[in-house]
Amino acid sequence: MAPPPVPLPRPVGPNPIDHATSLFFVWATLVGVWLLSLLPWRTWPMSPDLLLLVIVFWSLHDARRVGLLTAFVFGLVMDVQDVGPLGLQALTYALTVFGAQSLQRRLLRFELVSQALHLLPLLVITKALGTLLGAFLVSAWPGWSWAIAALLTAALWPLIAWLLLLPQHRLQDPETTTG
Amino acid sequence: MQRPATLRLFRRGPAAEVKLTLLVLVAFALLFTDATYKSTNPVRELLSATLYPFQRFVMLPRDLISLSNDWFDAAASIKSETEALQRQRIELAQVTANAALLGAENAQLRRLLGVFEKAAEHPTVVVEVLYEPANTFSRRLVFNKGSRAGISVGMPILDEGGVVGQITRVSPMTSEAAMLTDEIISIPVQVLRNGLRLIAFGSTTPGKVEVRYFSSDADIREGDVLVTSGVGGVFPPGLSVGRIDQVQRSSASGFARAEALPSSHPERYRQFLVLQVPIEPDLAVGSVKPAASKEPPRANPKSK
Repeated sequence: MAPPPVPLPRPVGPNPIDHATSLFFVWATLVGVWLLSLLPWRTWPMSPDLLLLVIVFWSLHDARRVGLLTAFVFGLVMDVQDVGPLGLQALTYALTVFGAQSLQRRLLRFELVSQALHLLPLLVITKALGTLLGAFLVSAWPGWSWAIAALLTAALWPLIAWLLLLPQHRLQDPETTTG
Repeated sequence: MQRPATLRLFRRGPAAEVKLTLLVLVAFALLFTDATYKSTNPVRELLSATLYPFQRFVMLPRDLISLSNDWFDAAASIKSETEALQRQRIELAQVTANAALLGAENAQLRRLLGVFEKAAEHPTVVVEVLYEPANTFSRRLVFNKGSRAGISVGMPILDEGGVVGQITRVSPMTSEAAMLTDEIISIPVQVLRNGLRLIAFGSTTPGKVEVRYFSSDADIREGDVLVTSGVGGVFPPGLSVGRIDQVQRSSASGFARAEALPSSHPERYRQFLVLQVPIEPDLAVGSVKPAASKEPPRANPKSK
């Protein structure tokens, strides 16, 4: 009698819940909101930055796919679209995502409104840095509309995050009960 | 909400701080090259060319609506346009007769004085506004034609009211224009009434053009019409620029500045004319350059 075969060690697959967000969904929302940003509603100087919100959302919830580099590239594209100083929004986006990711552990333990309160100073500070640098390069101060834009952006976080979490709720509910 | 932690023992790829530092350096390098070599930036041109199909795609509904509107309103709009043209034709006939007379007289006087005039006829390109970029620092327009249509940096843009602005950047399919109310634009002008030569800049007051650096006793008053003087060679002479609506004379500095309301209306129409004047490379960059921070501090402390 041959001894029963020892089961070969197999790598443990990643948690299926971890891959709840499909690659398609992440990129579809990113590209969708980017296309939305090409439309003329953003000419209003206080318009919130929806693209940045979606990038920050995915950088928090799917940090392996969406991170600094994605934010930087999208920022660069928006710089070209807005014919501003090249690299300015790229810098702002990268800084925002870095800030959000360093807050990630803390941030995701709060509900959406508190998350927005956490993100508000981050958004204001990064936007202020970008505006100051831009004002220095263009030698003109654009006024304070950017601060209101940052406020509105933070205020929209609960809505955007809720919308983006909707398709994942079904998969995340068992997780919240067990974990 | 417990997020399943990824069980990864070793961090793959560079640390976030390293990545951020690298990206910040890249951003600063881009900002520096963009500010220094304004018109030639391969990164921007590449991205701009890649963006173009997407821009057209998202604007498709708008274009389709305007197309169908044009289609359905064709008869009515042609009728009203014909009426307007008829009226204009009669008005212009008188102006033309007068102009022909003046032209003949002018030519005779020039011959007498021994001044020769070069006929300034430039080809033109009709461009359409593709979109208005959201830029907090300056107001620009992006047109739907670029270097492929023969547009290059520095060319003046006109509408029926006069000078609208100047091309500041081109990519193969699109071009970017600064309005004449933008601070980076400077146009050599002349007061139509007495021929006083001045330079018009974009004003710090939004929507205005200002002339400065002239002595406070210069003969300029409200209501004076400014036209391009042709000095500098980029803007051909005689294009309407604006009408003076405010003159500030400062006895302390001995200089005066005046503000003018532009005669063109870039916010009203979607079609503009680009004058394809021959642009020397240095001239084009020089005319746009003052945007860079190398400009000496402005002598208008009153504007704030």
